[in-house]
Amino acid sequence: MKNVRIWFKKIGTARFISHLDLNRCMLRAIHKAKIPLWYTQGFNPHAFITFALPLSLGIAGERESMDIRLEDTELTREELISRLNAALPDDIPVFDATEPVMKPGEIAYASFIMELETENICAEEAVSRIKGMLEQENIIVPKHTKSGIVDLDIKPFLRKTEIAPKTGLIEIQTVLPAGSNMNVNPLLICDAIKTYLKLDFYADIKRTNLYNADFQIFV
Amino acid sequence: MITKKIEKMLANVQKPGRYVGGELNSIVKNPDQVDVRFAFCFPDVYEVGMSHLGMKILYSQLNTLPYVWCERVFAPWMDMEEQMRKNNVPLYALESGDSIAGFDFIAFTLQYELSFTNVLNMLDLAGIPLKASDRHGLSPLVVAGGPCTCNSEPLADFFDLFFIGEGEEMDCEVIELYRRYKKENRSKEEFLIAAAQIPGVYVPSLYDVTYNDNGTIKAILPKCGAPEKIRKRVMIDMDKSYFPDKFVVPYIGIVHDRAVAEVLRGCIRGCRFCQAGFLYRPFREKSVAVIDKQCHDLCDNTGYDEISLSSLSTSDYSRINELLNQLLTWTKEEKTGVSLPSLRVDNFSTELMSKIKSVRRSGLTFAPEAGTQRLRDVINKNVTEEELLKTVKTAFKGGWTTIKLYFMIGLPTETMDDVAGIAELGQKVVDAFYENPDKPKGKSVKVTVSASSFVPKPFTPFQWEPQDTIETLHRKQRHLVSSVRTRKVEPNYHDADVSFLEAVFARGDRRLCNVLLEAHKIGCKMDGWQDCFSLAKWLEAFRKCGIDPAFYANRRRSFDEVLPWDHIDCGVKKSFLIEECKRAYANQTTPNCREQCSSCGAACFKGGICVEKRPNLV
Repeated sequence: MKNVRIWFKKIGTARFISHLDLNRCMLRAIHKAKIPLWYTQGFNPHAFITFALPLSLGIAGERESMDIRLEDTELTREELISRLNAALPDDIPVFDATEPVMKPGEIAYASFIMELETENICAEEAVSRIKGMLEQENIIVPKHTKSGIVDLDIKPFLRKTEIAPKTGLIEIQTVLPAGSNMNVNPLLICDAIKTYLKLDFYADIKRTNLYNADFQIFV
Repeated sequence: MITKKIEKMLANVQKPGRYVGGELNSIVKNPDQVDVRFAFCFPDVYEVGMSHLGMKILYSQLNTLPYVWCERVFAPWMDMEEQMRKNNVPLYALESGDSIAGFDFIAFTLQYELSFTNVLNMLDLAGIPLKASDRHGLSPLVVAGGPCTCNSEPLADFFDLFFIGEGEEMDCEVIELYRRYKKENRSKEEFLIAAAQIPGVYVPSLYDVTYNDNGTIKAILPKCGAPEKIRKRVMIDMDKSYFPDKFVVPYIGIVHDRAVAEVLRGCIRGCRFCQAGFLYRPFREKSVAVIDKQCHDLCDNTGYDEISLSSLSTSDYSRINELLNQLLTWTKEEKTGVSLPSLRVDNFSTELMSKIKSVRRSGLTFAPEAGTQRLRDVINKNVTEEELLKTVKTAFKGGWTTIKLYFMIGLPTETMDDVAGIAELGQKVVDAFYENPDKPKGKSVKVTVSASSFVPKPFTPFQWEPQDTIETLHRKQRHLVSSVRTRKVEPNYHDADVSFLEAVFARGDRRLCNVLLEAHKIGCKMDGWQDCFSLAKWLEAFRKCGIDPAFYANRRRSFDEVLPWDHIDCGVKKSFLIEECKRAYANQTTPNCREQCSSCGAACFKGGICVEKRPNLV
């Protein structure tokens, strides 16, 4: 058996399906593609499949990955990719399959590009107001956690955040803590803008990459 | 593709995956290269509609026609509806994201009466005038098929035409005719008069209904050459009947999320309360080889690892063991499970059990329908207590510990003793578990007895029967609960208010169109969802229209009364239904179609079991 890291995008309509649905969708695709998945040898055999880091509902992913364990197989990388693509919806394209180098547990940061579309206010004006908000000493937003809602100051996590107007939209590029230890959802930035500045907007968010604690790209 | 405007709304709704399309095997065509845009509308939420086999069949089949693009439309849940109305987004089709108001056909499938308000709400959301008489152009044509069209009178004002019976051929014939009339710039009236000549097509506006002073119907009169009787369409050769080799595979979990094979149509049984048992006659089976191929194709093209062998009564399939053996030759290797949704008490065998169990294991459900032998004879449910106990013992030996039993209360001639009999039967099943010497160690048994309320339906021997009043049903429900004496039997029952409304609309006439419109105006929708249903609102609608719902639900009709659906012909003769009703009152059973032909009339279709049993007939 061998471990394979499958790289895919979750874009378009696929943004609107939950992590649980994605999991089922992938299992079905693997079954349809007749890929020789390795099953656990226990009393109730199940497939071995792990996603690097789940994506929130509504957010697109440009470089998502899942690890699967295969039986010994002659299947080439190219064939694996093309078979999976034939079995998946168009909005979940697979673009690579590699041997895993890092463990998903090493993931510490994720980069995002957010495009905000405001109503009743031009992008330049909104950008300068958001920049002003980012200067504040602290930015408190309510965050849902396992132990209920807590007030979180996101200011310390926004050091790698850039904001600029872009063809009538507001573009925010940010790198946020991600992974099992500390996770900051980019939607919290949206919440902050909405609460502090009373701005109403539509946010198109995509996750572009994952990194380890040394800011090395997750491979 | 859904528009940016729709995407923006999705941030504010639950389960946005319902509203985006883009699923594997969904069909996208170029709108400029088709002549007919067809919106297949299921008047309930995505998860329910996507589970419906009929929609999968017709969606695939219509899309095999190069000049037709058939798309799916479902009822949005309240939160999405609110967003759509707030943002002026009309109801759109999932494949293209286009508003359906510009389509050629708005086609609904009518599966249950409680979805009728959703039909109106969806038309309203699409910005289409609700009443057929307010739509003057040839398109959009608002049409419907499905079992409720056997009495579509409560919807007659809203639809241009109904498809009676099985749609595989008829739908295509109507689309073909429409395509020609559209090219020739003909009027809607001309089209409808011509469509009414296609067998199985019912154009309600071509029939005048007159009433007697006592409120019953005097006559149903066709005009403009429309046929006096509309005979349902039937696909006689099931092996040659179209069946899709792929399903749209939903992103999100749906109610029945698996490959579905249709093994047969119709039912040999003739239970007297069951509309489907008469409506879908004659009984027609597919061959083992065809079913096996259809199952394999579906699994290959969807990735599903579970197949459901669907029909009204799958264990009545004459070659069930042969079929399961054939399926097991590849399903095991491909890690695919086989399930049988409908099992009968009297032919559940150890062999059958072992074949389902070898792949997947779930609870077992049987439907004795009535608690005493006398009442089971009345309804012609030819199942004995001995058979039930033998069956559950087989199941207990096989390791099952959860049994669900379905019953009905409010059946004709029912007494309180019959109701108590339900609890007693549950108790006997529990006793059977403890009598089993090799019962699983340390495990208890759970028997759920579930009682729904009887709703008399058209085209059954009980179509003349009054439904028990809500008060009587409540009394019987309480009696059932108090008759249970152990915690191992768990009684539950359906909401009688809901059954009452079903009874009104199942046997309603055209005067209910106004009630439906009124109910829609005061906000009735999603009536099939317990949280949404409000009988108080409905009663207000009836009051406003000056209509007494009890006239439809609780009144005994005489055999010579003109029934609202008398111009619809499903093959089974009215004289046969009358005879069956009389036999019910005499506690007499009728043999099933395989044992002996009872000459119900379905032989007029010249196929299926009618011919197999009586080859000299044709």
